[in-house]
Amino acid sequence: MSEALDLSLREQAAAIATGEVDAAELLEATLARIEERNPALNAVVETFPERSREMLAAAPAGPLHGVPVVIKDEWPLPWRAQRFGAAEMLATVEPGESGPYRALRDAGAVIVGVGNMHELGAGSTGNVSVYGPARNPWDSERCPGGSSSGPAAAVAARLVAGSVGADGIGSIRYPAAYCGLTGLKPTFGRSAMDGHHMAAVSTTIVSGALCADAADCRLLDSALFGEELVAGDAGGLRIGVIAGEVSEDVDPAVREACESAVEDLRRETGGTVREVEIPELAVATLATILIANSESLGGVTPERLNDLDPELSPLARGLLKFRVLLPAIATVKSHQIRTIARRAVASLFEEVDVLVCPTVPAVAPPLEAPVVELPSGTLSADEANVRGGALANLTGIPAISVPVGSAEGLPVALQLQAAWGRDELLLDAAEAIERANGRRWVEATPPPARGAEPLEA
Amino acid sequence: MEAANTPDDFIQAGLAAYGIEADEVDLAVIGAAHQLFWPAILELVALDTSQAPAERNPDLSQAPPR
Repeated sequence: MSEALDLSLREQAAAIATGEVDAAELLEATLARIEERNPALNAVVETFPERSREMLAAAPAGPLHGVPVVIKDEWPLPWRAQRFGAAEMLATVEPGESGPYRALRDAGAVIVGVGNMHELGAGSTGNVSVYGPARNPWDSERCPGGSSSGPAAAVAARLVAGSVGADGIGSIRYPAAYCGLTGLKPTFGRSAMDGHHMAAVSTTIVSGALCADAADCRLLDSALFGEELVAGDAGGLRIGVIAGEVSEDVDPAVREACESAVEDLRRETGGTVREVEIPELAVATLATILIANSESLGGVTPERLNDLDPELSPLARGLLKFRVLLPAIATVKSHQIRTIARRAVASLFEEVDVLVCPTVPAVAPPLEAPVVELPSGTLSADEANVRGGALANLTGIPAISVPVGSAEGLPVALQLQAAWGRDELLLDAAEAIERANGRRWVEATPPPARGAEPLEA
Repeated sequence: MEAANTPDDFIQAGLAAYGIEADEVDLAVIGAAHQLFWPAILELVALDTSQAPAERNPDLSQAPPR
């Protein structure tokens, strides 16, 4: 059964459909693997074997029939309310059928566990959580990325072949990059979002898949979208490399790997490459942060801020109080900047099909000190990562992170962004990159994964 | 009314106005966040965006209307 555990998501689905693999045996083996590998990673914070067995017993003959998956601690389940990685959420939550839960259930998937996440979704590193930090399977002293830290670490360590995360400002793409996975941030509103405690107010958060490669993301995201994401042809792809610090203030090894991947993509698709400017990018990043932070203020009152759970991290406590001081004029202007940025990228997408830049400017930093060294100096990983991650959430466009190399034995990733609704094109382009490099980086597996191939630059 | 002279004045006065309590650790975190974000916020606030009204109820799943 350990061979079945190491199959891709689509291979597991196909093997169950043909009877080659017994879904009940796969479920038990998955639970045993989580027990074996998870203590070193803290990727999965809760399993519920009986609930999983019940889910399997009732699973319809969908495209993911019997396939085990992990879901981030950001979505309620009928038997468990989300905790958002925090001792306190400043929101009322209860168990229920969230959109991602229903999408997975209706596709026949089996939820085997809840994935860890960065506290309150408020970090790109995953090093802070009420459950303790999740750890990066490539190096357990390194950050797995956040906020979907557990879903990423669980797939990278092959506890499961696919997981569901959420992305409000890069929270699928950063952990995908740090853990060497493919992660799609869908077009806003295209994937299941019902039941999220911020569904009614958030204009940045979406659900999305984290998997080893683009084909698996296509399958899992099809379930989350409620429609098949049909494979197409990225032939003649017009590639726009985003100029400026997002591509240039980057660790040299990351820059080199990403430039090489862009050339691979151009060659594989018979496409073209040009540099493009997004002059509003720096202010757009700030606007994204201000909009996302203001949207989470609905549950805040001075009384609640004066009675925060003592287990909430000091950083979260301070930042929750800081948010109250953000000026309304800045939020109003942020919405104007959003319109300017949306028009700017819409105009760019008349000239190029995808915008590319490194997903993150440096490899996963240490858990104990999540800072990165860039040509401009030392920056917190959060400050550095948001430069490339925010635009897609501000504008609503889809984005994907694709593993394209390694540095210091850790994964390096390229981000591609496309126009609204062109999620399928991003998957096509990711597959073109995989073909061009012989699937070297999507098939590389970290030490905890059995049969691991060490990463080599 | 006198303007706050330093970020510390602003932070403490702002929190006090809401009746929000803050200990030394809270103030250190808020001060660091203020130092990080405030210069950029001031630049954003100084932008003349009067010619760029925000979309009304933007449909973020679509490109903006031309």
